[in-house]
Amino acid sequence: MADENSTPHKRGPLKSSVGSAAVQRRRDHAVTVRKERREALMRTKRLCRVGVSSDDADVPVDADMATDEEQSVLEDQTVKSMEELNLAIAYQGKGAMQKRVNALRELRRLLSKSEYPPVEAALKAGAMPTLVQCLSFGSPDEQLLETAWCLTNIAAGKPEETKALLPALPLLIAHMGEKSSLPVAEQCAWALGNVAGEGEELRDVLLSQGALQPLARMMLPNKGSTVRTAAWALSNLIKGHAKAATELIRIDGVLDAILRHLKRGDEELATEVAWVVVYLTALSNVATSMLAKSDLLQILVDRLASSNSLELLIPVLRSLGNLVAGDSYVTDNVLVAGNEVTVRVIQVMIKCLSSEHRVLKKESAWALSNVAAGSVEHKKLIHSSGAVSILIRLLSTSPFDIRKEVAYVLGNLCVAPSESGRPVLIVDHLVSLVGGGCLSGFADLVRSADIEAARLGLQFLELVLRGMPNGEGPKLVEAEDGIEAMERFQFHENEELRSMANQLVDKYFGEDYGLDA
Amino acid sequence: MAMEVTQILLSAQSVDSTVRKHAEENLKQFQEQNLPAFLLSLSVELANEEKPVDSRKLAGLVLKNALDAKEQHRKYEFVQRWLSLDVSVKSQIKACLLQTLSSTAIDARSTASQVIAKVAGIELPQKQWPELVGSLLSNVHQVPPHVKQATIETLGYLCEEVAPEVIDQDQVNKILTAVVQGMNANEANIEVRLASTRALYNALGFAQANFSNDMERDYIMRVVCEATLSPEVKIRQAAYECLVSIGSTYYEKLAPYIQDIFNITSKAVRDDEEPVALQAIEFWSSICDEEIDILDDYGGDFTADSDVPCYYFIKQALPALVPLLLETLLKQEEDQDQDEGAWNLAMAGGTCLGLVARTVGDDIVPPVMPFIEENITKGDWRQREAATYAFGSILEGPSPDKLTPIVNVALGFMLTALTKDPNSHVKDTTAWTLGRIFEFLHGSSVETPIITPANCQQIITVLLQSMKDAPNVAEKACGALYFLAQGYEDVGPTSPLTPYFQEIVQSLLNVTHREDAGESRLRTAAYETLNEVVRSSTEETARLVVELVQVIMTELHKTLEAQKLSSDEREKQTELQGLLCGCLQVIIQKLGASDPTKYALLQFADQIMNLLLRVFACRNATVHEEAMLSIGALAYATGLNFAKYMPDFYKYLEMGLQNFEEYQVCAVTVGVVGDICRALEDKVLAYCDGIMTQLLKDLSSNQLHRSVKPPIFSCFGDIALAIGENFEKYLMYAMPMLQSAAELSAHTSGADDEMIEYTNSLRNGILEAYSGIFQGFKNSPKTQLLIPYAPHILQFLDSIYIEKDMDDIVMKTAIGVLGDLADTLGSNAGALIRESLSSKDFLNECLSSDDHLIKESAEWARLAINRAISV
Repeated sequence: MADENSTPHKRGPLKSSVGSAAVQRRRDHAVTVRKERREALMRTKRLCRVGVSSDDADVPVDADMATDEEQSVLEDQTVKSMEELNLAIAYQGKGAMQKRVNALRELRRLLSKSEYPPVEAALKAGAMPTLVQCLSFGSPDEQLLETAWCLTNIAAGKPEETKALLPALPLLIAHMGEKSSLPVAEQCAWALGNVAGEGEELRDVLLSQGALQPLARMMLPNKGSTVRTAAWALSNLIKGHAKAATELIRIDGVLDAILRHLKRGDEELATEVAWVVVYLTALSNVATSMLAKSDLLQILVDRLASSNSLELLIPVLRSLGNLVAGDSYVTDNVLVAGNEVTVRVIQVMIKCLSSEHRVLKKESAWALSNVAAGSVEHKKLIHSSGAVSILIRLLSTSPFDIRKEVAYVLGNLCVAPSESGRPVLIVDHLVSLVGGGCLSGFADLVRSADIEAARLGLQFLELVLRGMPNGEGPKLVEAEDGIEAMERFQFHENEELRSMANQLVDKYFGEDYGLDA
Repeated sequence: MAMEVTQILLSAQSVDSTVRKHAEENLKQFQEQNLPAFLLSLSVELANEEKPVDSRKLAGLVLKNALDAKEQHRKYEFVQRWLSLDVSVKSQIKACLLQTLSSTAIDARSTASQVIAKVAGIELPQKQWPELVGSLLSNVHQVPPHVKQATIETLGYLCEEVAPEVIDQDQVNKILTAVVQGMNANEANIEVRLASTRALYNALGFAQANFSNDMERDYIMRVVCEATLSPEVKIRQAAYECLVSIGSTYYEKLAPYIQDIFNITSKAVRDDEEPVALQAIEFWSSICDEEIDILDDYGGDFTADSDVPCYYFIKQALPALVPLLLETLLKQEEDQDQDEGAWNLAMAGGTCLGLVARTVGDDIVPPVMPFIEENITKGDWRQREAATYAFGSILEGPSPDKLTPIVNVALGFMLTALTKDPNSHVKDTTAWTLGRIFEFLHGSSVETPIITPANCQQIITVLLQSMKDAPNVAEKACGALYFLAQGYEDVGPTSPLTPYFQEIVQSLLNVTHREDAGESRLRTAAYETLNEVVRSSTEETARLVVELVQVIMTELHKTLEAQKLSSDEREKQTELQGLLCGCLQVIIQKLGASDPTKYALLQFADQIMNLLLRVFACRNATVHEEAMLSIGALAYATGLNFAKYMPDFYKYLEMGLQNFEEYQVCAVTVGVVGDICRALEDKVLAYCDGIMTQLLKDLSSNQLHRSVKPPIFSCFGDIALAIGENFEKYLMYAMPMLQSAAELSAHTSGADDEMIEYTNSLRNGILEAYSGIFQGFKNSPKTQLLIPYAPHILQFLDSIYIEKDMDDIVMKTAIGVLGDLADTLGSNAGALIRESLSSKDFLNECLSSDDHLIKESAEWARLAINRAISV
């Protein structure tokens, strides 16, 4: 109004040229597309996390925040949403794509909703052929994503429900290809991880359909959530399958990627990758030897030293144990006395042995026993460390399975391999261990019903009887009720133990015993 | 304290640019050195009757510009600056301004009116200058008409500047009384009547109470209607403008007057001068707007969701209104099709007829059909054109059931007319009408198709033929083809257009090469139609689209080779480059959408990128914008491989982000940063220092258009999503920015719809940034860095929840942020969330939302929150 001659705004003419509106529409479209992509990215990130975490911990649902729905209502809704989905697929008109995506989203919502997802109802309503159709090539990402998500939830169900995914597997694998968008590939990996987790039969199917390559490729970039999902799926896939493990480590870039993620990834990522390493080192000599020659050991030790996450420490520790047990290169060339890493390995073992967690204690004792089985230098190193007092305490106070592992360590410390085959005694180790009070623990083992434990106990008693200076052995054994423990084997069904025990009793506690006292 | 500024002000208007610049420099220095003296000197100059009108007027304008600015931040700054001035200086300035209202020089008076209104706009909301309205009102009773005129003009401007609630109802009543009295036929002075009528236009917003009072409303309406009959054309026009405004502001009070208004507007449409007649038509158009809005709110069922009931004025007026509008269609101007800015009775009438059709739907058809049938075959082109225009106008609104049988009959006739009619206006309107047919009656949602295998070929042949017609006709034919193609966008794997695809593309390319393609925006129409044809095409023709890439690249290459152009030619080249880049954008998007075609496209990626870089090197804003859009599409298609283009492209990205003046370029570039982040993921890190620096600069700039700020915030989110915990180093800069923007956007009280919409888009941007940052840091050992920011973010969520004015988009983003916060911070956020005032209510509200996207985000957020508070 400031201008004298102004008139209020002129209305745009109805008859206008197409150009200007079209330009605007095109630009708006670009903005819309961009918003959709941002949204899709954020949504995928969110939903993957929910899935991952609800895997390992059932979320207690706050009663007043939850909207509990009766199972039957949920099932009815599922059947209805399947109908909607089929209608949407048949529909070819304007916005057909959006319709399909909305219907898929609704189905996925229902399948994610409750602790008991209505998987059975969905399958009965014919979900599988429909979902397979939704995975067809050239479908928009959003559709693929929702479909793969539905399948993920179905695969998380009972074994026969997981098996229902069979017709979808080739397409799920195909959508993990290089050309697929990351969120889609990740969601497919997740679904396949669930399938692989089901059992050997499905693992074989997946391997024969070529799931290994694309999953392995997803390990290569530095994309946290994708790598995590891929690693998790891979560890499920190679479980119990030595050939697959070897094949995996031989894929270009996989070794580097594993080391990189293990070194730099956040703890959740490192955890999943560490499980892959566990299976690789447990199953494949090729993999173990390749990994042994890398700086894996250093990385594992760093992780053990810096992390307090049980979830992470377990697979890392187990990998370390596998590595030490599985390949002599490590013990011969890396873990040599004087190397800093050797000292650190022992330090982190001490840390794990002192932890509150049973599994950590057991895994670390096992790993340590493998080191202790090494050279005399290794034994000296362990013996002179703070580990011994902890081990001795564990031998008498911890649960049986840990005691057994600890016994291996302690036993190994006292003997060294020799040319003749019969182990050579390391007397000063024996003396200090016995002095530290380990004998009662071994005597207890002798009383165990577990043959292996009993043998360990007997072997240690033999060392004491034979090796303690000044013939102190028999007295010490007797003081721990060792004779009574050994006599239990007099009529034992296991011949080896029976004769071993009998010989010891005869030799050290025969008729002459006690006369010179 | 006041200084002599006459000479500087006169020099500042000199034709000699050196003199002018020097003077402008002097003014600037003066202002910077001593603002109070500067402003005072200007007001003294304005008030001084001895001084030349030119310097007085400019003094007033400079003063006005020191009080107000378009940019929100600068405006705020100016307001604070004025408020902090010494009271005595302000009093002197205001006295000078009021004194100027009595000047005999109309320019001085009028300028003073505007400045007074600006000062009032600042001071009245602060309860300062309380005596202003009183002293103006007392002026109204001054004898000299020029003083009265200036005073009423001031009151009008004042109503424009000040929000209604700032002025007491008592004073509003007095202002309205003064203004309406000034409009009265008893007022002898024409200038006073005109000023009063114009002032009423602004004062109508203050008249809520008065319009609720039958007697006062009757009086105002009578005076306005009387003024529409004034012998002075300007007064009549201004009175109709008031009537138009009343029509939309007080729709629900119109019933008693609508018959009278119909009578006077019909007379005006038929007999009055064009500017008046146009406003009379505009009245009915704006009533249509109101009723379309209300009926929209009804949403089909008649449960009356709208605050205002529909009075169906248009439906009632239909029998008389339609003939009136049809008559106007016959008053075409000879050359209106060639003149882009043309606006005349026929165009306004047709536009209004189109709105009427949208308002009443099927009911429009019976009264219009006889007119069409009677005129469409007449010898006079005006009759044929008017009949066709009438038909084209009513195609949006009525149901397909009603229209389809008619269109089926008319289609053949139209196609013949488009080829054979001797008159180019008729052909122009015929092609436009075909376009409207395809726009509204063709597409996958239409049950009975208009286009069938039987007529498809003929339609396309005719349209392609018409593209060789006069530019205006060819342009409309392109438009028709545009909507024809659009109707097939969801057609499925096989498109009826496939057999013609190559021919259509070739014809459109031929059009772009026409010598006269610059007329009637023909070239633009041809390229945009090409885009739509490509966008709506199917896999069947993907190979041809791939070939088109090379054609468009060649064209673009040619524009880059042209040398030594005149400025005119350069402008044309620039426009062409923009169109070609737009075309590339669409093709890239199309081919990039499916894998096999993406690979076909990617073989050209290097070449495309090269060309785009050369286009950037031309440094033209509009081209930048289109080329940027293509870059965004290319980044998406190439993904990680886009990294190799970054070293060369980066500087243009930075230039785009620095382009404050052409803010659309800046906005598009900000969007492209997001595209690149999604393409490169953490590989974008190397460029983030530069990008973040620029974005932060943009945000703190007062010059940058506010509409760019929300996308910048969203872009923070994109960056954080891409680089994860590496965003750490930007936290200390980005978070305070987000925080202060959040504070500003938390409350909207008293804002108008436009402001609320902007505030919501700002909130959405801020929230997207938070989401991106939280998600980026999730699972990183550095999440604790975010903990200090959590209380403020939760408070922000609380306050926008309590404000109750967020739209669905903000709601969805906001509940997402709550979830992200819980998800990323875990138990660290548990206590904060528990303590937050409304997060539980907010969550519950979102959980029961009808919008499935909100519900989905909310369900996710619930999981995340439960986990956070259960640990």
